Amino acid sequence: MKPAPFEYVAPSTISGVLEILGQNDPDEVKLMAGGQSLMPLLNMRLSRPALVIDLGKVADLDFIRETDEGVVIGAMTSKRAVEDSELILREHPLLWESTVAIGHPPIRNRGTVGGSMAQADPASEYPAVALVLGAELVAVSARGERTIPADDFFVTFLTTCLEPDEVLTEIRIPRLAPRSGWAFQEVARRHGDFAIVGATATLRLEAGVVVDPRIAVFGVADRALRFSAAESLLTGQAASDEMIDEVASQAAAAVEDPLEDAHASADYRRHLAGVLVGRVLREAAVRAAEASTGA
Amino acid sequence: MAIEIPKSLDQLPTTRPRYVGRGIRRVEDVGLLTGRVEFVDDVVLPRMLHCAILRSPLPHARITGVDTQAAEALEGVTAVVTGEDARRWSLPAQSSPEGWGTHCIAGDKVHYVGEPVAAVAASSRRVAEDALELIEVDYEPFEAVADPFEAMKPESPRVLDAQETNVMLDRVFTWGDVDGAFADAAHVFQEKFRWNRLGANPTETFGCISEWDPMSLDLTIHGSIQSPGMFGLGRAATFGLPSNKVNIISHPHGGSFGGKGGTRGCDISCLLSRKVGGRPVKWIEDRGEYLLSGGGQAWDRHYEVALALDAQGIVTGLKVGLVDDLGATGEAYGAISAAKPLAAFTGPYTIPVAQYDLKLVATNKLPCGPYRGMGPPPHFFVLEQMMDIAARSLGEDPAEFRRKNFIPADQFPYTIPSGNEYDSGNYGEVLDQVLALSDYSAMRAAQAEARAEGRLVGVGVASAIEPGVFDWNAYAIVGMPGTGVPEGATVNIDILGNATVRVGFSLEGQGQYTLITQLVADYFGYEPEDVRVVQLDTQSAPPSFGPGGSRLGVAITGAVLGACERIREKMARVVAVLMQSEAENIEFMDGKFMLKGAPGAEMTVAEVAGTMLARSDLLPPDIDPRPEATHVWTAAGRTPADEQGRAKSYLTAAHAVHIVQVEIDAETGMVEIQRYCLADDCGTRLNPDTVEGQTEGSVVQGIGAALLEEYVYDEGAQPLTTSFMDYLMPTVFDAPKIEMVAVVTPSPFTPLGAKGCGEGAIHTTPAAVMCAINDALAPLGTSAREVPASPMRLWKLISEARNRASDESNDD
Repeated sequence: MKPAPFEYVAPSTISGVLEILGQNDPDEVKLMAGGQSLMPLLNMRLSRPALVIDLGKVADLDFIRETDEGVVIGAMTSKRAVEDSELILREHPLLWESTVAIGHPPIRNRGTVGGSMAQADPASEYPAVALVLGAELVAVSARGERTIPADDFFVTFLTTCLEPDEVLTEIRIPRLAPRSGWAFQEVARRHGDFAIVGATATLRLEAGVVVDPRIAVFGVADRALRFSAAESLLTGQAASDEMIDEVASQAAAAVEDPLEDAHASADYRRHLAGVLVGRVLREAAVRAAEASTGA
Repeated sequence: MAIEIPKSLDQLPTTRPRYVGRGIRRVEDVGLLTGRVEFVDDVVLPRMLHCAILRSPLPHARITGVDTQAAEALEGVTAVVTGEDARRWSLPAQSSPEGWGTHCIAGDKVHYVGEPVAAVAASSRRVAEDALELIEVDYEPFEAVADPFEAMKPESPRVLDAQETNVMLDRVFTWGDVDGAFADAAHVFQEKFRWNRLGANPTETFGCISEWDPMSLDLTIHGSIQSPGMFGLGRAATFGLPSNKVNIISHPHGGSFGGKGGTRGCDISCLLSRKVGGRPVKWIEDRGEYLLSGGGQAWDRHYEVALALDAQGIVTGLKVGLVDDLGATGEAYGAISAAKPLAAFTGPYTIPVAQYDLKLVATNKLPCGPYRGMGPPPHFFVLEQMMDIAARSLGEDPAEFRRKNFIPADQFPYTIPSGNEYDSGNYGEVLDQVLALSDYSAMRAAQAEARAEGRLVGVGVASAIEPGVFDWNAYAIVGMPGTGVPEGATVNIDILGNATVRVGFSLEGQGQYTLITQLVADYFGYEPEDVRVVQLDTQSAPPSFGPGGSRLGVAITGAVLGACERIREKMARVVAVLMQSEAENIEFMDGKFMLKGAPGAEMTVAEVAGTMLARSDLLPPDIDPRPEATHVWTAAGRTPADEQGRAKSYLTAAHAVHIVQVEIDAETGMVEIQRYCLADDCGTRLNPDTVEGQTEGSVVQGIGAALLEEYVYDEGAQPLTTSFMDYLMPTVFDAPKIEMVAVVTPSPFTPLGAKGCGEGAIHTTPAAVMCAINDALAPLGTSAREVPASPMRLWKLISEARNRASDESNDD
């Protein structure tokens, strides 16, 4: 279990990274963030880049900054830093909750926020959270900088809309609207495993009806999925058990080609998607109700 | 003169044992925890090369060509070996049953995914792996068989060319009038079960460094080897060498649990060493190799079981049909796991007659090897589910139903229908203790409340036997010859009185060096730091099997105490001469030799040892002047197996009852273990901390078996679980708090009354967890018959049961 031969560079600036990317065939290059996915792939010779650019020495990619709209997180910020951040725990509890569901402490020590986004593993927690929170992802290349909404970012298995010459630099996460309810749940065979299926939701309750519900699942299909039809169905309705059941079954039915592996059949994944969407909506509704009355 | 080994703690020559029977700090731990012990991968020998192995991607194919030229030309590569080298310098592996072994590198065809087809010795492992990519192998694929029922059909693809069939063994063993028992039964219950393939996953995989001199043919192997003596004999047989040419140096290793197979990789490194003129060749199995093709897959079983009961609910007969999928060959001795249940076939019950319809079948999967428990854990899983099926059907409480079928305490030693003799036990007391510990009636009351709320809460009660101190005769039915498993120890006292104990096995984690230290300290009135334990290679060590078969704690206690007794006897003769008396007038207690009736006339062990070593001129001429003795212990009274496999085999029968409470999430199928309680009786506890540690680890492995662990192959025999992403070991998060209580019924047959306890709870835990799951499912009218009870399997059962129920209510 030793990697095939490759060249390794660790530039200290983002312009250095872009310069090296420009000098090489981008298809032969792998950018390495925390290495928690890439290193096993290299060691098993499933990934065989000619060049690995380690982003670990690049300055100014490791930060958590509060802004008027919310928070900006540098792509090379470790999950452990997110977990340890008072700001995240206080202002972005859904992000915090999803962070501690990722792997185990040694994985979170090294794994980065940007790495998880760019890796786009279908069972990864962060892409689904980025979808419901309406995150934006910032990428730079020699051609300049662009901001990509999370809804457009994740394409399919291990594939984002990033071009081969682009580098993800930061993730902007808006603050939840006041009196929002949120929830995050997953079913995994063991604590710390990639989820078989996970779900997350946010919503508000105004005058007894649901406003701006956002629902996403992960682990079910080739990428994290948001359910706009189910969201529309719920919007303006009371968060009753019957309504939530209906929304959950519609969400489950909307999954095309559920994944199938040794642990979970397509049917079971679809079923779990429905169960978990129901559970996160109920939990989010309870939180929203508490926020409305308690505030 | 016969050596009398103390049968109980009060027979030790000490006023009060200060160490044996107590949990003392383990002498092994400093070296293990600081990494200062020498693991095999730490060893670097001059001119050493590194081996990597090319493995078959296909489960069944003819090899039509192997081109190694490009690999040989790669810089850093010293040699490449193929099936041709294996045929030239080695024989097919020995196997059980006999005749089902192949060469360590495939010749004409491959039989399973991961089978070695070539190997490289190079300057580093990385270069060796680069070279593997340059080897071209041409395959002509054949149809593969992954299902043992398909494999038994005459038209099935044949796994081994050398065999006419895929059926390795097909025999019915009948012990007593089984037909009569079933004909006369008031109740008969019958059910099928599936236990999926799982296995050992030690922290450290197998590794070795082999040096095979092509001139002298001396073969020296360093390795992480569980049973160095057996391993050496196996290599001698494989290479056609005299056994005294093979020397095995085992290193401390990170656990085994039966998974330290490693023979193919080791044999390949030997071939490479011979090909490169005897240079050392290191092969360290990586985790990918271990999961794909290592020594850690076991128990791929299909059961059909029947239980006969009389009108009073007493079990009167047991029939077990087992189709055991052993994979492609018999080289890893998976067949032993099918034979071992004979040592405890009817569990803790008085079942008078039994039958075993056993079919061992070859398929295109990895050959099965040993795993902790060596076969009975699945057997007790099915027996305990049958006990619950019977109890539920008769409306009896599962705990009391078991109690009335228990072997009564006054009937030991007790011979079971399959021939083994249980030494001792008090099963009712063990049950009472765990019922009290768990507050069983309160548990049942809480369960009733939860059920009323529609929650799936279950309580499982399971009871099993752990056969301890194995003997080869238990495996006679699968072709293992002979009786007797010796363990030796040499105890030496130096000129200043310090003790060194020399043994033939290395550290594996069970704490036997600590046990040896406790024994010698109490025997001679020493402190633990006065005792040192060292391991010898197989050409120097006393006879040794090492750890395995829940045997070493008992066996090494016998060997060490026997050697101590021999030293005492020798020293008493020396003291008698020095004190101008007779040996029978010399008493030994608390480390001092004393002349009877002469207060103050005494010598310490150190004084006697110093005198013997410095003043041999004072000793009687027929006395060996070394204060040293070797004793080789083996279980007495073992009998050869008869034609139905019956033998007095395992010397001890430890017993346990576990009570588990689970809750199943009906929507997801996830199982939560809410309480885990157990009582067990393994006789005298020589080191209670060690017993508890073994028990905890074994419970967690049992939970892995019940809920998580499974090697999955697709219909074409391709393995789907080849990393720890897919093969799920329990972690600390999956381990519940384990509440334990001990019952101590000393064995009348063993040193100090101890019983084998190393395999322990895995005999009972999978059964207990599955009993709890099925108790939770009972209100739905469904039950789980397959392990692991994965969330998807349970969800299917629950949703099918609910659909049936709603169909029925719709019909009304």
